[in-house]
Amino acid sequence: MQTKGFRFWRAKEFVIFVVLVIICAIVTIVNPVFIHPSNLMDILLTNTVLGMMALGMLVVILTGGIDVSVGAIIATVTMIVGNFLAHVSGNLLLAFLVGAGSGAALGLMNGLLIAKLKIHAIVVTLGTMSIIYGVMFLLTGGEWVTQEHIPEGFKSFGRIVFGHVKTTSGGTTGLPVQFLFLVAAVMVTWALLRYTMFGRGVYALGGNRISAERAGFRIDRIIVLVYLFEGILIGFAGVVHTSIMRQVDPNAFNGFELQVIAAVVLGGTSILGGTGSVLGAILGVALIAVLNNGLILMRVSSYWQQIVIGLVIVAAVSTDIVQKQRAEARKTRVDVEITEGARS
Amino acid sequence: MTNDNDFILKIDRVSKTFPGVKALDDIHLEVRRQEIHALVGENGAGKSTLIKILSGVYQPDEGAYLAIDGVELKNLSPIEAVRRGISVIYQDFSLFPNLSVAENIALSLDIEKGRRLVNWKRTRARAVDTLDRLGVSIDPDQELGGLSVARQQLVAIARALTYDARLIVMDEPTSALSRSEVELLFRIMRSLKDEGISILFVSHKLDELFAIADRFTVIRDGRYMGSYPKEEMDNERLISLMVGRKIEYTIYPKRKCGEPILEVRHLSKQGNFVDVSFVLNRGEVLGITGLVGAGRTELVQAIYGMNTPDSGRILIDGKPVRIRSSTDSVRYGIGYVPENRLREGLVLQQSTANNVILVTLDKLTNRLGAVVADRKDSLVERSINMLAIRPSDPEMIVSKLSGGNQQRVVLAKWLVGSPKILIVDEPTNGIDVGAKAEIHKLLRDLAESGIAIILVSSELPEILAIADRILVMRRGRVAAELDGSTATQEELMSKAILSEQTGASR
Repeated sequence: MQTKGFRFWRAKEFVIFVVLVIICAIVTIVNPVFIHPSNLMDILLTNTVLGMMALGMLVVILTGGIDVSVGAIIATVTMIVGNFLAHVSGNLLLAFLVGAGSGAALGLMNGLLIAKLKIHAIVVTLGTMSIIYGVMFLLTGGEWVTQEHIPEGFKSFGRIVFGHVKTTSGGTTGLPVQFLFLVAAVMVTWALLRYTMFGRGVYALGGNRISAERAGFRIDRIIVLVYLFEGILIGFAGVVHTSIMRQVDPNAFNGFELQVIAAVVLGGTSILGGTGSVLGAILGVALIAVLNNGLILMRVSSYWQQIVIGLVIVAAVSTDIVQKQRAEARKTRVDVEITEGARS
Repeated sequence: MTNDNDFILKIDRVSKTFPGVKALDDIHLEVRRQEIHALVGENGAGKSTLIKILSGVYQPDEGAYLAIDGVELKNLSPIEAVRRGISVIYQDFSLFPNLSVAENIALSLDIEKGRRLVNWKRTRARAVDTLDRLGVSIDPDQELGGLSVARQQLVAIARALTYDARLIVMDEPTSALSRSEVELLFRIMRSLKDEGISILFVSHKLDELFAIADRFTVIRDGRYMGSYPKEEMDNERLISLMVGRKIEYTIYPKRKCGEPILEVRHLSKQGNFVDVSFVLNRGEVLGITGLVGAGRTELVQAIYGMNTPDSGRILIDGKPVRIRSSTDSVRYGIGYVPENRLREGLVLQQSTANNVILVTLDKLTNRLGAVVADRKDSLVERSINMLAIRPSDPEMIVSKLSGGNQQRVVLAKWLVGSPKILIVDEPTNGIDVGAKAEIHKLLRDLAESGIAIILVSSELPEILAIADRILVMRRGRVAAELDGSTATQEELMSKAILSEQTGASR
């Protein structure tokens, strides 16, 4: 890794990190329960799914695309996985295969439509969001998969923790097993973006599509692969979610796509594509996680929570756009050189 | 004597036909090893088409001969061109602003080699090597978007070198550079030449061409006009080869006309234009020409209130006025048709009437914002009569009108405010000859009716066909004011591209 080249305190991510630390400090002062290890473990557990999905969304947004169907995809994956566990097999490995496979299929569908139809991703995924939800409710009737139908083996897998942390109510907890999936997703996404030509193609495409074409990148393939990769991450996240909740609610992810997109954008990823990082996306997820948790601990009404998070998102996106516009304005100066002033 | 081996590039009998247009006709071009070769021609002469054939983006028509390094190539593709050592640096550089300098330099080579993984050490080392070879100090870890245009161009050159380019094609490389940056670029071009690389340099800045090129090839109207070594070339010869396109247009008789309506005195704007003074008379067509980037559009936008000048005065009917916005200029009777608007300004699926009133809707509405039908009808009728739009039915769908009548509808739109002064910027850019002639006639008719017209155009035959007087701009100044009835293409071109010291210092 190029430790010389990377200057954290100068990077965009550093600002987000500072904001995160300040928010943590404020929440802790108002309610010290915030930094209790068990609360921190709880934050990790409840935001693992958000984190995994944000990584997929990061890769999509880096190409200049977007995916608003992620809520529908994970809802469908959890329904498929839940029904598979309830009616077919309680095998853990198979459950992950089914989850990843169904996520991959839905992601592939999005990718192919966006690449081949050449319609903007937001239009395509708005459409597929509606279709995916529609088909899922049609086939399942919107029935929950309740706790008693989930096999015991799968449930106990979901309860695995590492280490011992006392909870405020006297019990013990630890580092949840689900967190390992987030760690794995972070490492895979980071390596993919940084060390593969595919990953560099993602950045190149988001930076300048025409140049990327001229340089010889196969644009359509990159787009398809990006949504496929996102679909696979959502697939794993769906199984992880099921192992946390030990039941499946088909409506659990209504509006969740906004949280995912918000986390990525808060993490400094340009909504126009080309800039953004795994570190930033994770910091963005942490920011959303801390805001959600902190506002509860500070006993702010849940309506206010929505308003605060919304304001933070608008602020983050507009700073990004304003910075871009300023940079553009600096470059579009008319270049008429006047050197013969003294002559005529 | 030369044989095929002395040439890095040899093309012959290259033609390129697009539907309805022959862009290139039997072009011949030879670039020698270690040569800086200038490709010269007016705007639209076919230079870009030729470059795209060299880079494999376009395929030439049947029967073309194209050889790189003595090997004949058929069906050249972009990737094959690169493998054969031809590298094109486009005007926009085709770089990635969001990636590091090192990555911009090394990325394409990784793709070309079909690599799947990125080796950052190799990427960085290659970038450092190449930048050293160019003798420039640019931090390879810096994000490209933060560099000046000149330095981005150096990165683009560095990228070309990583391919082992033996012929680098540079399309207008100096257009966005300052004097000192041009000097640096030339120094680098000469050192590349010493390393055995040939450069095909496209430009129409003559002083620069004479400073750097060893040989010249001139094309005009898609045809080969000859190749000459620097020693046999001078300004006059080059200009006479470049211009002299056949004028297909009707030449309108020029008039000495009316009293002044607009006077511009010592108008200046930092970085745009300097000390511009001229007079515009009632009923005349004043042509403003010059190279793209000479400040023409900036000047007319200043008159229209879209680009506030730093100093100088504008007088209308002898009275000083301050024009700070387009609302002001409309009040003073100035109309402005921006570039391409004559072509793009129509809603094809709507009626003539609706198109005509598009710009001036607010004049036709009552206090509630609803269109007053009477006002609309009388206004549309007046426009149709004034411009003789046929068929004269205001409800006719515009897409069903002939091309010429469509142009009239567009112009009608801009004339609804009944301006006394009409500014048109490149009104015929990219449209066919017939439609051009229609617009020329319209502009002349409007001038006859007493409107004063400023015509901004790069196309010299067009300017000569309809302008009564001509201003030639060069680098933000009025380089010459000429009489439209006596001026020649050569005269216009030399005023537009030659600076006073050219030739004297070299």
